[in-house]
Amino acid sequence: MNYFAFIVKSALFNFSRSKGRTFLTSLGILIGVMAVVLLTAFGLGLKKYINDQFQSLGTNVIRIMPGKVLSGGSFNGSSIGSIRFDEKDVNNLKRIRNLESVAPIYTKSIAVDAGKKKEDATLYSTSAEIFNILNFNAQSGKIFDKTDVDKRNKIAVIGPKIADKLFGSGDLALGKNIKIDSQSFKVTGVLESKGGGGFGGPDLDALVFIPYKTGFVFNTDKKFFIITAKGKENISLDTVKQQIQTVLLKRYKEDEFSVLEQTEILKAVTSIFDVLNMVLVAIAAISLVVGGIGIMNIMYVTVTEKIKEIGIRRALGAKKNDILFQFLVEAVILSVFGGLLGLGLSFFIILLIQKIFPAYIDAQAVLLALGVSTLIGVVFGVFPAKQAADLSPIDAIRYE
Amino acid sequence: MIKLKNVWKEYPLDGTVFTALKDINLTIKSGEFTSIMGPSGSGKSTLMHMVGLLDKPSKGEIFIDNKKISDVNDNQLSDLRNEYIGFVFQQFNLLNKLTILENVLLPTVYLRKKSNIDFQKRALELIDRFGLYEKRHSYPNKISGGQQQRVAIARALIMDPKLILADEPTGNLDSKTGKEIMKLLTELNEKEKRTIVIVTHDPSIAEQVERVVRIIDGQII
Repeated sequence: MNYFAFIVKSALFNFSRSKGRTFLTSLGILIGVMAVVLLTAFGLGLKKYINDQFQSLGTNVIRIMPGKVLSGGSFNGSSIGSIRFDEKDVNNLKRIRNLESVAPIYTKSIAVDAGKKKEDATLYSTSAEIFNILNFNAQSGKIFDKTDVDKRNKIAVIGPKIADKLFGSGDLALGKNIKIDSQSFKVTGVLESKGGGGFGGPDLDALVFIPYKTGFVFNTDKKFFIITAKGKENISLDTVKQQIQTVLLKRYKEDEFSVLEQTEILKAVTSIFDVLNMVLVAIAAISLVVGGIGIMNIMYVTVTEKIKEIGIRRALGAKKNDILFQFLVEAVILSVFGGLLGLGLSFFIILLIQKIFPAYIDAQAVLLALGVSTLIGVVFGVFPAKQAADLSPIDAIRYE
Repeated sequence: MIKLKNVWKEYPLDGTVFTALKDINLTIKSGEFTSIMGPSGSGKSTLMHMVGLLDKPSKGEIFIDNKKISDVNDNQLSDLRNEYIGFVFQQFNLLNKLTILENVLLPTVYLRKKSNIDFQKRALELIDRFGLYEKRHSYPNKISGGQQQRVAIARALIMDPKLILADEPTGNLDSKTGKEIMKLLTELNEKEKRTIVIVTHDPSIAEQVERVVRIIDGQII
């Protein structure tokens, strides 16, 4: 039997002799690792979810909003400006040849009334180009076009969730009338699902689109809060943004509007989650430290119980470092055992909740959990182990 | 091979200084079978711990093969205990979590040099010689005291040390088993020419060895 096998066998014997104590000590690390891993999984899941939602809306989408919305990469809520865009701005922007589509959006929260049933939704009063910009396609019927907008047709293209809840299915919804604020609209199209559940941001499957000129019945001052646009495929977004900037500067001051890329907004949103998640994980890490103190405590007890054994080993030729290493290995095994259990339990919990929450775990989180539990074993094991190694051989062997 | 020169050992005890060893001068020659005899509290165990390099003198010097022990660091002391000295204790001091075979092999774990010796084979030969081959995979608490002491002697021999130190090796055994153990130690001295130092308070054991060192109140008389 080699050196390492001898040392591991000593540690394992100790654990098998005091199973309860071993488990309770590991429990501290188990809970700590589980807290860190689960919170990381939630954070990663949420970030991935938001990322996927943004991706599904297309990546070369530009949003033009009033005020300086982003400053230094994060949201700046206080300075959302007071200007609103109008049709003249839309027409000016349409002259930019590098833009494929431009769509103004007037949006409000509404209740959709189908006679028997009512459903909450978000109204998008916009132009036909919005469907191209946001990658929306119809699963039944068709999306509205420029003629519908110009003729102020009282029609609506609704999200699949609204169709399902009010009429049972997309096909059944076609041709039916819905009422929004006592105005009647005919459903001419139902959109394909974008998926997702509705964490952070509007539910993309519960939108109601109407032609913006028809929408002037709600939007009486004919102003828009957002204009979305899509650059042409092979033109850099920076160029397009610059051109938009130039056009708008003719009417507005520089700090009265923002031209944002989808990715900038994405970065700002995820940076908020990153900070939040870091704080949560830091709090969870405190429980790891508490677990480590538990290990230190039990290792001091173990050293006291084994003083005689330490003396015997020293008499047979063990060096200080041999003793130090023996107790360090024991502490690390204890800690990694707890870490592995915590990781296993976390996997199980993540599997269970994945149906309702998009939590997921990556290799990095697993390695981190194992690395941290090993480190805790070493850090909190080293003091008791040092105490064991520094015992004088004669005092140790005489100890009863 | 071992020489103690003007060795003193003092401990602090209840605010005063207790002198365990007073000006000890002792030379143990290679191949000798020496018994250190004295009543309990005479300092004979302290003396053995000095010879066994487990303890350091307060004053004086210990030489092993003319090498000054005070010049040697803790790791080198450990190596000397590992390779040069084999210990046999009154309470056997086997590790209960290791099998008989593993206990015998324990000192080899701490030999960190390359060695061509097949320790496994040597351990089995020793166990067989002491009549414990059937028990090689048993644990120490499953065998008798006499058998445990034989395991301890096998463990003391595994590194083929020049010096065997036995501290009251028969103290925890009945007289018949004690005689067997003494016979074993005598054989090791006579047939294998090993240097043996045995600490005892039993005059009948002292009669069986060639040289007796008597110690009372920390002094050799």
